[in-house]
Amino acid sequence: MKKVLLFALAALISTMALAQSRVTGTVTAKEDGGPIPGVNVMVKGTRTGSFTDENGKYSINAPANATLVFTSVGYTTLEVPVNGRSVVNAVMASDAIGLDETIVVAYGTAKKGSYSGSAAVVKQDAIKDVPVVSFEQALAGKAAGVQAMSYSGQPGSEVEISVRGYGSFNASNKPLYVIDGVPATSGDWSTGNISTSAMNFLNPSDIESITILKDAAAASLYGSRASNGVVLITTKKGKEGDLVSTFKASVGVSYFSYKKNLEMVSDAQNEALQRMSFRNYAEANPSVWSSYGSVDAYVDNRIAKYYPAFDYDKYIYKDWEKALFQRGISQNYEYSISGGSDKGKIYASVAYTDQHGVVKIDYLQRFTATVNGEAKLNNWFKLGGIMQYSWQYQDGHQDGWSSKDNPMFIWKAVLIDRWPYAYKETGELFEERFSTRFNTINPVGQYKHQINDAKQNRTILKGWAEVAFTDYLKLKTTLSSDWLYVHDKFGWLYGHPNFTAYGTGYASDKHRNINKVVSSTTLNFDKMFDVHHVSAMVGWEAEREKFNGLRLGKTDFSYLGATESVMGTTFDEGYAWSHEEGLLSLFGSASYDFDSKYYVTGTFRRDGSSRLAPDTRWGNFWSVSGTWRFSKENFLEYPWMNDGKIRGSYGTSGTLPSDLFGYMSVYDYWQYGDEGASYPGNIANTDLTWEKNKNWNIGIDATIFDRYNFTVEYFNRKTTDLLLDASVASTTGFSSTLMNKGSMVNRGWEITANVDIIKEKDMELSVGANWSRVHNEVLKLSTDDEAINSGWFWWKKGYNFYQFYTREYLGVNKSGETINGVKPGWPMYAEGSFYEKGEIVDQDVTLRDGTVVKEGSAMPYDGYNYAPARRQNASSMVIHGKRAMPKYFGGFNANFRWKDLSFSMAWTYKVGHYLCNTTQDEVANDGYRTFGQPIMKTQLNPWTTDNPDSDVPMRIYDNNQGGYYNSSRMIVRGDFARLKNMTVSYNLPKNFVQKLSLRGARVYLSGTNLITISKAECEPELQSDGVYNYGMPALRTWSFGVEVTF
Amino acid sequence: MKKILSIILVAVLAISLSNCKGFLDKEPTDAVVAENALATLEDAGVAVNGMYTLLKYYTVFGNYMIQMGDMRGDLLVASEGTYITYSYDYDPSQNSYFTLWRNFYSTITRANAIIKNIDALEVPASEQDIKDDYLGQAYAVRAFCYFNLARLYGRPYKFDSGASLGAVLITEPVSPSEARLPRNTVAETYTQIEKDLATALPLLSKSKNTGHFNYWAAKFLQAKVALYKGDNETAYSAAKEVINNGPYSLIPRDKYLASWAEVGNDESIFEGLVNLQSAIDGDNGFGGSFYYSLWFGYDNTGASVVPTKHWRDLFTLTPNDIRINWIDYDDPVTGFKHTGEYWLRKFIGNTGFTAFLNNPRYMRLAEAYLIAAEAGMNSGKGDAASLLLAVAQRADPDVTSIAATMENIEIQRQKELIGEGDRFFDLMRRNGTYTKNDPHNPFSTALKWSDDRVMLPISSDERIIYPELQQNPGYKN
Repeated sequence: MKKVLLFALAALISTMALAQSRVTGTVTAKEDGGPIPGVNVMVKGTRTGSFTDENGKYSINAPANATLVFTSVGYTTLEVPVNGRSVVNAVMASDAIGLDETIVVAYGTAKKGSYSGSAAVVKQDAIKDVPVVSFEQALAGKAAGVQAMSYSGQPGSEVEISVRGYGSFNASNKPLYVIDGVPATSGDWSTGNISTSAMNFLNPSDIESITILKDAAAASLYGSRASNGVVLITTKKGKEGDLVSTFKASVGVSYFSYKKNLEMVSDAQNEALQRMSFRNYAEANPSVWSSYGSVDAYVDNRIAKYYPAFDYDKYIYKDWEKALFQRGISQNYEYSISGGSDKGKIYASVAYTDQHGVVKIDYLQRFTATVNGEAKLNNWFKLGGIMQYSWQYQDGHQDGWSSKDNPMFIWKAVLIDRWPYAYKETGELFEERFSTRFNTINPVGQYKHQINDAKQNRTILKGWAEVAFTDYLKLKTTLSSDWLYVHDKFGWLYGHPNFTAYGTGYASDKHRNINKVVSSTTLNFDKMFDVHHVSAMVGWEAEREKFNGLRLGKTDFSYLGATESVMGTTFDEGYAWSHEEGLLSLFGSASYDFDSKYYVTGTFRRDGSSRLAPDTRWGNFWSVSGTWRFSKENFLEYPWMNDGKIRGSYGTSGTLPSDLFGYMSVYDYWQYGDEGASYPGNIANTDLTWEKNKNWNIGIDATIFDRYNFTVEYFNRKTTDLLLDASVASTTGFSSTLMNKGSMVNRGWEITANVDIIKEKDMELSVGANWSRVHNEVLKLSTDDEAINSGWFWWKKGYNFYQFYTREYLGVNKSGETINGVKPGWPMYAEGSFYEKGEIVDQDVTLRDGTVVKEGSAMPYDGYNYAPARRQNASSMVIHGKRAMPKYFGGFNANFRWKDLSFSMAWTYKVGHYLCNTTQDEVANDGYRTFGQPIMKTQLNPWTTDNPDSDVPMRIYDNNQGGYYNSSRMIVRGDFARLKNMTVSYNLPKNFVQKLSLRGARVYLSGTNLITISKAECEPELQSDGVYNYGMPALRTWSFGVEVTF
Repeated sequence: MKKILSIILVAVLAISLSNCKGFLDKEPTDAVVAENALATLEDAGVAVNGMYTLLKYYTVFGNYMIQMGDMRGDLLVASEGTYITYSYDYDPSQNSYFTLWRNFYSTITRANAIIKNIDALEVPASEQDIKDDYLGQAYAVRAFCYFNLARLYGRPYKFDSGASLGAVLITEPVSPSEARLPRNTVAETYTQIEKDLATALPLLSKSKNTGHFNYWAAKFLQAKVALYKGDNETAYSAAKEVINNGPYSLIPRDKYLASWAEVGNDESIFEGLVNLQSAIDGDNGFGGSFYYSLWFGYDNTGASVVPTKHWRDLFTLTPNDIRINWIDYDDPVTGFKHTGEYWLRKFIGNTGFTAFLNNPRYMRLAEAYLIAAEAGMNSGKGDAASLLLAVAQRADPDVTSIAATMENIEIQRQKELIGEGDRFFDLMRRNGTYTKNDPHNPFSTALKWSDDRVMLPISSDERIIYPELQQNPGYKN
């Protein structure tokens, strides 16, 4: 250390001692000859540097024999010898290839051209004008191998991000989020009433870039949490130069995007279908109508009861869509400043967002503030800090079937046109129960007596210091605190006309605090030895997360309109709990490259986690990777090849158990009578460890003819020791215990291609596309035979993680005869018994291809009996070839610029997967329940003897055969393509702007979810399990914005 | 500079390293590490309470056991639709009723943990009797669970002297690999029950301890087990001991109906304790509880279970039997809900709570009388008739004498014990005859004790991971 420092000092002094002279010049662009501002001009081998001004001019002190190095983002780095001149002009060529582009990677940055890992970068430009609350919502289709899926179209709802498939059963499948180098709390920490994301705290405009680390070489440095990829978010920093202010304002309007989401029949059609249900029922069961005298009289009576005619004298009716929904207006205002010198830099911003949802009760308000500053005290010491604060208020509803207040559900599954809105005489709302199926009453009245809101406060504070011992050895230490506070409130207030629960009011508060403190220190070495470039890093990190929660609820209020539980009399629930966890890590990496031609990198991390037993809590993760830049080889040097490289990586990473104390044997406490009770709460598993991921990745990157740019990658990600809530023998007293059992693989291809079709001074046109294919397969559970039925899915060796498993629907019995108890017109289901290969079948078994294995013969292969059967006799089975995971997915984008006008659009698509539209059991139930509910259009023209070719089963009231029951009939193709975003932007002419004393001004029009191409009868862009359950569908938003810089 | 740097570096490292110790050792706050959960006698008392929490759950006596007894028998029927317990339509792929098996084993596990760990507790001599009582309760609870497992999953003992498969005998805490034992026979299961009761009886307290096993509850269980086994002498003497020496008495006729609201009433020997927080089905909604399905007087309760016509007809000739008041007719015109159904209104809710919230009664003195009467009749005891009369006359003053016949005992058992889940077991243990011809669901099949459907199936999902667990005859997989 001593020697190194002395050497550095000597070098510094000797440089200063040399003769200095003033060198000036202008830097222009090769393409259009215009000046380039902000170019970094350095004297090679020294720390002397300067920047060009707005006119591209610079001035620097340099020895006569020095070489100047010009670098600027988007341009190829240029070296020019001074040769004794006092004016050195430089012409820089734009860097079509982006080799010199710096990308943010694990614990540092890397040159894109030399990086051997697999990382996708989404830049500020791609998300800046998209009207979204969180950047996550703008990621769909932007990067190969990455899926971003919204849980709900409600403002601010959580987005599920999946990187290269799914590797876990019972542990998280979510990536690790790292903000400005520090692991951050992510996900939905609310208590579930309103979907939200902890990432909403970041105003997308404050983000500089997002890097998604996909393979082991890129992600292994994050060790035990890196299996599902890592999302690195880099926020904006101050830029050297004048203080520049930017003000941006936008206003938008939203409404439902996908018109085909649950289309319902008209009022007249509905009545006709209801009549048909009762008529068919009566005709099959004479006893039910005998007391009415005739079938007609019976049907009329039922319709009068369940589908009563309009009574305009008594009631006012309303279009329920208009009563519940509106065009949601959103507004967004941001102000930021950025600037600095070589002594210090600052970026600061404040932003305010206000979104009214399409649902009248949905509302989101957010305020964010951020300051990012750094100061350079002297040549060797830098200090900086980041403060990010946000406050968010959401007022909304809970998605899902029969949820307390989900307007989508109430609208689609409950409300019909004939449901009165108000009394004509008094104008008072009609607040009686109309449908006997649900307790729902007029939601407009209901919402007045309801509180459902969520507040989220988040503050991240970071401080860092960097010591440069020499220009190649630096120590950086960071301390960070990430504090998230969530407060959810739910109340059915006194006066809420709900028929059962909490008739005299209910109000509850739920508070959660999550505080994560991270301390990390890294030592970086980076030096060129002739053509040998060596870099290395070692570091350690300690992370502690504290959680505490508090819930309090009361019922029985006496004051109409009381909203706080203090006014209630009966205690409903109230308790607090807390927990803590820790993670300690040591890590390092080393890279070597020879002549920018051959690159080798190794990484290592050792993690210790409090979630595991003392003996098993430490684990090692590593990766090796290499790149061969073949385009630099003399024998492969072609003029049309700008750049070409092959890279490969192999390495390990992990996933920790979701359960913080899963390894311990604990006693749970509850109540028996009025006394306490305790009992063993689990089976301890002190061998519990993380899931192990073994990744390899091979990729080719190439740029040819200056304009074609593509990347092809193949990856294989095998996860072993899967954390599985494995079933155990019931005689243990438990049904399952968390074990490391089983394995799963995700492998696939990713292709990204970009073409710069036009690259002129006044006109640019580029298009890009990405395509990913992920094959997912469960390799093993506890045993080869074990199968776990998880909701609609079936986890078993050889099947996809999202393989559908339910009754197989075979369509309507059109044969005119009763088949195995299925009458003509009734729905048929596959019988579904499973037989192993060679098993002697105990009944005639119809194979999937239609061939019949006679009773007493041997089964030719493992398979199910597809013989038609009544619903009651049909067992659940693997629905052949249908899964919720897409066969391929990706995005397409185009960017066009003509002078100051630019246009961009981004599409996303998914193909080859199925959705499960569970709404069908209410709205497409073949008449099973005829309680005056809405009916889907797909129910029209059901089977009758006069319509024997219909694919819609016969409509009969109380027939327990049909659509009400889960079956593959609810599973529909989910293929879609969606225009996620389109933006037209115009930079106001320079001379006009300058007259207003502005640096720049821009107006833009941006839209999201503008076009959807799909055959699905429900919203097709869903979370990964593809289950649609009356969630808020995606919204189409048009937003107009103005941005001025001054 | 380098000195300062070195100091900072060393300090940073030192601070961080010194903080490492304990940094990764965390404990939960919503549960207690097992080693600390049984440290004192008080802890043991809390763990003893923990043995009883599942038994009252809707998956055990809160509902399923009642169905297994009365729905499988001829006392209860669904007012609409069919319960698969009514039609014996259960099969190994349905997991819902297998929770009975699971919950009994969870309870056995809790008892085993106490039996294994309580010895380590050192208590002063003055508290030895408390410790003994706790240990006795653990043995008795285990016996109770094995008895229920045997009568649910095995054939009736007397059919083949216990040769069929019964429960898996687990008598100490086991790991997942140790737990995969094959089933023992019904006879072996009964032997274990008798052994556990023999161990428990001298340890147990003789004081009333509502919601918990005491000496008398264990004695009652001994009587019932003996009756199932055909050991009439033991059954008679044990039941008589409860009647004669226990702190219980039959509640007089005028107080009897209301006594069902009382927690720990005079004739309740062993019952489960529920309250709003530790409700029968845990979600405070009572949706799964049996009492909920009996109760029609509330909007949208899903009430669906009614007493059979067969049971109602038992009262045709006894209009003064107080138990006739348990039949609550809801007239289609003038009734509360216009259902035209006869509802069962025996369980009226614990005092102060809704009708859904009843302590399930596991053992009552009235049944002790009926056990003593039956065992006494079988073994020629002179007081069999008077024991039967005590129960019959308490309900119906018109009955002044009654013959100790199986028919009369059976009538009293049905009248008295409806909704307590014993009927089907009573029929099967003596291969009794019955019909299922209720107008709600005329169903020709009634079982004999030789039928395979007498035994519940073992879950096929369970057998995938626990192949050693033999399936009962008559079931696929």
